[in-house]
Amino acid sequence: MPEISLSDSKGRDAAVSAETVRVPVRIRMVDESGRQAVTARILKGTIDRDHAALLARAGAADKLADALVAGDPELDVETAGSFLRDTSRVYVNSDRHVVHAVSQVEIVRNTDGTEKLRRPKKIAITNVSPDRPLLWSGKLLPKREAFNKFAMVSKLQVVHVNGLTYHFLFGIARELEAKDSLLVVGAGPKANQPLILRRGAVPYRGFLEGRTRGDEYLLILHLSNIELKAPDIKPAPEVKPS
Amino acid sequence: MAKPLVFDFRGELIEAALEKVDRSKLYGYAETEVHDDAGRPCELATLIGDGHSIAGKGGIALAYLSADGLWRTRAELRPVDLHGKPITPVKSSFDAPIPLDATSGVDDFLSHNIHLIYQILPVADATGLLAELRAGTIYRFPFSYRGGVQASPAFLLLGADGNPFLCVGTPTAIDFVGPAAPPPLADDTAEADAEEDALDFSLV
Repeated sequence: MPEISLSDSKGRDAAVSAETVRVPVRIRMVDESGRQAVTARILKGTIDRDHAALLARAGAADKLADALVAGDPELDVETAGSFLRDTSRVYVNSDRHVVHAVSQVEIVRNTDGTEKLRRPKKIAITNVSPDRPLLWSGKLLPKREAFNKFAMVSKLQVVHVNGLTYHFLFGIARELEAKDSLLVVGAGPKANQPLILRRGAVPYRGFLEGRTRGDEYLLILHLSNIELKAPDIKPAPEVKPS
Repeated sequence: MAKPLVFDFRGELIEAALEKVDRSKLYGYAETEVHDDAGRPCELATLIGDGHSIAGKGGIALAYLSADGLWRTRAELRPVDLHGKPITPVKSSFDAPIPLDATSGVDDFLSHNIHLIYQILPVADATGLLAELRAGTIYRFPFSYRGGVQASPAFLLLGADGNPFLCVGTPTAIDFVGPAAPPPLADDTAEADAEEDALDFSLV
């Protein structure tokens, strides 16, 4: 997420950087000689030799069983176990043929699984970009009230790109810290729409948090798509089998 | 009898069942049906690099290979940290009581990405613990559901709706930046209208 445009409480906006804050993996798997192992994707089998295809070819389950005893019809020695590179995701129809034109219908269901509505599936279009400033919503949530109301599932760190934007972001961080609050961040002219950071990405509610330390600042854009609350309908509790 | 999670709260063992909370339980969920132009249902598959072979569901596997490119099973490998020091695998958090002896603050909690939420359902009386949570205390401890290479930081806290929750998260690399900080590197690895005064989370 290279650039976003952010507004402050004075109505000024500036293009700044929003960086990912994921911690890289710190675990390696090594063999008995201490040398690092790597993972590789390999092909187990193709759809022309899976259970459904073999059953259709054999005609009946007992005939398929006989074929499996007599030989290895499920195995193509030319491709099985080969490394996979440059793969593509495709749709196949019930005849196992690649389909180039599909129609997608989204079925929205209630929490109990009942159908709520059907609609043509739409790809979410990004609404966060440098040329569309995220306006200052003015909606502040005290940190002590917000931290246990929403689950912050992801976050971006907003950082300056030059001296001017350093002062701009430091000012925002200090203002939010002074109010001990999170600013609700949304897209659109009313700053109330969920943030869609990339085409087709999950929409999130945004919450901007600011902290300062001397002349340093920390401006975090928390992203949430779920509230921290109990479901209305309580299914059987999930516990680990003994 | 299913095994509960057990908290050691000031010497008192409190058993609790976990109920996973996710978006589908709070807001419902959406499924996508895909059809070709003849109305036949379609499913996703993987087109192999040769341009004609197709792998369906279960047709692809992940394998470990040694530096020489030889097959290695998971059992033949051991986890180490970046400096090569062995990592001791952790046991499941259900195997022993979890001591509630470390607390956390709001800033620390907010510094984590929360990827799992469980509602805590105490099996027996947990008045003392609930009173502590109501006072705003956040307990922090390592958590692993099944055991494994590493535990994740977990937080026990009271939700705004008055229910106790276990939030399992991952730490993030947030840090203060100053005027002398170098310009950020470009990074492209990251990933409905709503009422003005209400946050609508049912975005399906």
